Amino acid sequence: MFSIHRPPGPARVAGAAAAAAATLALTACGSSGGDDGTLTILVDNTEATVDSVQALADAYTAANPDTEIDLELRPGGSEGDNIVKTRLQTGDMPDLFFYNSGSLLQALAPEQNLVDLSGEPFMDAVAETFQEGVRSDDRVFGVPVGNAVGGGVLYNLPAYEDLGLEVPRTWDEFTANNQAILDAGDAAPVIQTYGPDSTWTSQLFVLADNYNVLAAEPDFAERYTANEAHYADTPAAMAGFEHLQEVNEAGFLNEDFASASYADGLAALASGEGVHYPMLTNAITELRATDPDALDDIGFFALPGEDPDDVGVTTWLPGALYLPQTTDDQAAAEDFLAFAASVEGCDAQTEAVGVTGPYFIDGCTIPEDVPPGVAQLQEYFDAGLTAPALEFLSPVKGPALEQITVEVGSGIRSAEDAAALYDEDVKKQAQQLGLEGW
Amino acid sequence: MKRPGGILSGIVAIAVSAVVFLVPFAFIFLTASKTRAESALLEFSLPTEWAIWENLVAVVEARDYMLLTAFVNSTILTVASIAIMVVFAAMVGYVMQRRPNRWTPLLNALVLAGLIIPPAVVPTIWVLQRLGLYATLGGLILIEVAFGLSFCVLLFRAFVATIPREVDEAAIIDGAGPVRLFFQVVLPLLRSVIVTVVIVQAVAVFNDFQNPLYFLPGDENATVQLTLYNFRSQFTTQWNLLFMDILLITVPPLIMYAFFNRQIVAGLTSGAVKG
Repeated sequence: MFSIHRPPGPARVAGAAAAAAATLALTACGSSGGDDGTLTILVDNTEATVDSVQALADAYTAANPDTEIDLELRPGGSEGDNIVKTRLQTGDMPDLFFYNSGSLLQALAPEQNLVDLSGEPFMDAVAETFQEGVRSDDRVFGVPVGNAVGGGVLYNLPAYEDLGLEVPRTWDEFTANNQAILDAGDAAPVIQTYGPDSTWTSQLFVLADNYNVLAAEPDFAERYTANEAHYADTPAAMAGFEHLQEVNEAGFLNEDFASASYADGLAALASGEGVHYPMLTNAITELRATDPDALDDIGFFALPGEDPDDVGVTTWLPGALYLPQTTDDQAAAEDFLAFAASVEGCDAQTEAVGVTGPYFIDGCTIPEDVPPGVAQLQEYFDAGLTAPALEFLSPVKGPALEQITVEVGSGIRSAEDAAALYDEDVKKQAQQLGLEGW
Repeated sequence: MKRPGGILSGIVAIAVSAVVFLVPFAFIFLTASKTRAESALLEFSLPTEWAIWENLVAVVEARDYMLLTAFVNSTILTVASIAIMVVFAAMVGYVMQRRPNRWTPLLNALVLAGLIIPPAVVPTIWVLQRLGLYATLGGLILIEVAFGLSFCVLLFRAFVATIPREVDEAAIIDGAGPVRLFFQVVLPLLRSVIVTVVIVQAVAVFNDFQNPLYFLPGDENATVQLTLYNFRSQFTTQWNLLFMDILLITVPPLIMYAFFNRQIVAGLTSGAVKG
């Protein structure tokens, strides 16, 4: 769902970019619905996505019995990126598809491939914050499905209670808490998971620090896109890498961090073997499925920065439904999008999958009895203390960040070195996108 | 021959292969019998609560009985592409070995090119779309044949060299035409290499993941390997159902092997002695 995961490999990206330059004279053929009253929607196979879109589809067909909606599943991650690009290039995209917002959307060349929705009346209900994440020039392309996601630290509430700890407001307080947990000796202060398929989890210290970066350097995103500011020469931006290096050097990590998987990390957090797990709040969905009793023990706080009076959370936008230009059932697809952008649409999703954060549709509410982690995320939103992750403000995101952060978190590479290497890594991508100043 | 050391090393070899093959299988079976929460721990242990039947039903019913469609598709795909590969590769290998001429080096280069040059996804889809074969099982069969044919041609060509030319000549003197010569005289002699090709390519085609993923989109077109993605995604994985699916997919080839065990071993060893 989020581009924090495995980015597409460089070679494949180059291929897709070349294909994007070549194409699009092809007409639609293949599996799209036609006028037989069937809409086909391509979604990624994440349980939460499938269940949410299925819930929308069921609610929609209940109100419109002569329309049938089929879901087609695709893998997530870089393989899924390739499938979406391939099917757009070959004109074989179904009537609607679900995909990330932000920098991954920009990589699809939306103005060439997708239908502009900015003139549609139903877009008025979509929050401005979200529209920023699916905008290219003055065109807007997607309708959000799912909840806002916060990036920060999931923590074990009973451990905090036992040790009498308070939610940290600065990095120093966080370090003091970690030291207290380490001295108590029962649990690992910080969980990291660099095992198979889980290296993406290493990026949280850097990516979820964006609220603090923007608090110190409000124009960082613009200057970063314009190649004027970099991680290596902006101290606030480099702090993320430094924090990762610090927790490793202080011995705060779980012993098996090099081989543990994302699932292991969540299990350790739920059981109290680890106390802090820097993570996205959509991990709550996974926990709800595997260990629902643990939800009451999991809290959430924003990744702490330097300023105790300005503590806010970095947020990720949910993915969205997009309308490819090759659809031959545009009116029906737009009608479905209008439903997805309505309060009935949100309620259908809430009922089917529960909530992990606020919606981006005007008028949608979340129920009272949410898990503590979700309630704590909601507090940041209610107070307005949120900032989007960098990938929603700038199209520049390098493919190798997770490898670099694994090196830093394992103590193989220093923070300065890593920041410089990552600045080098994003160059390739910026040049492929043809941005000014690179 | 009856040295005690030989018996001992034999026993050790059997024990090692049992561990290497049976332990993973036991792990698959045990995980497939667990509830979701327990399977997420990924431990090698007996399930505290056996859920094998529930998991089986859940996997078969998933996404509107997709697994059943997938088994039909995979069977058609495997059988059809193997049949085409065997017949065509045997013909090409036979002719190239028996009748070398000035085009043979070029043909050899083309066969090698088939092994070396990697496939490109988007142009291949364009070709299939022009031919009206995109997202059809027929199109995917042709793709599997195209990717497997070169390897088979090399095997057949090398093997035909071991069949004495005199056999062909005797058949021709007895009045066999070219078609009869190939199908009734030469093809039966190729039996051992045919078995090799069938095994190697059946495993490759049945297990193929990437080609069906890109060239055969759509739920009604799924092959068995693609059903694995019903249960595994980037953030969440239903390990119990995933392993049940793996178990179900592994069983048919295993049954086939149990039935054709003798022919397979006979075919492979007769090839080894002649080769």
